[in-house]
Amino acid sequence: MSFELEKILESKRALRRELAARPIGEKLRLLDALRERELAIRCRATQAAHADPSAPREEPVPHRTKPENER
Amino acid sequence: MDIKAVISVINQMEADGVVERYAIGGAVGATFYLEPVATLDVDVFVTFESAPGNLIVSPQRIYDYLTARGGAIEREYIVIAGWPVQFLPPGTPLVEEALKESEIKDVDGTAARVLTADHLAAIALQTGRAKDKARLLQFVEAGVLDIARFRAILAGHGLVAAWQTFEQQFLSDAS
Repeated sequence: MSFELEKILESKRALRRELAARPIGEKLRLLDALRERELAIRCRATQAAHADPSAPREEPVPHRTKPENER
Repeated sequence: MDIKAVISVINQMEADGVVERYAIGGAVGATFYLEPVATLDVDVFVTFESAPGNLIVSPQRIYDYLTARGGAIEREYIVIAGWPVQFLPPGTPLVEEALKESEIKDVDGTAARVLTADHLAAIALQTGRAKDKARLLQFVEAGVLDIARFRAILAGHGLVAAWQTFEQQFLSDAS
């Protein structure tokens, strides 16, 4: 393992080249797996939010067209 | 969930004459040339004849064909083999050309018609969202473009200035 940025970047590029060079059938199966994982994460995140209403969450910023003192 | 099954269904739909031609684009199309990147849907460009006396091209025949074979309509998608598939008419001359010049690839014995890397990259430049720029950069870095052909496509569709801007923004260090 190395913390040299250039080596890290080259390692990432090499991994991407290796993934890109895999047979297309295998790459498409990876897409299937990636989508399943993405859906599972989204599902769990939604369930977690509903299961614990006391959990801290970020409130959306109210959109105002005028500053408070001009209303 | 099986993209290969999606391709088989679309091949059959083309063979049955529901569409004149199809070609896979988007992230799934890009995966034929690049490393796989997570995506939630499959973009399929299609050409099909409008119904007699009707100038508006309707995807209804596609919907009818696929729902009769177990496809489920979800908003603008049809779910086939667990994948939401979006059928898109070629909205620009660039996409029309891309569809005409698309290529057949072999996926473990199943034929799949896919947009070329050069056209996918040009479409990404034309579409111009952040994720499209990221994909275009992937195409350039992967060295999968036929640069002369790519430049000819850009010139033919008024994208030379957009490409110069892109080069300045993202490729100036590499040049």
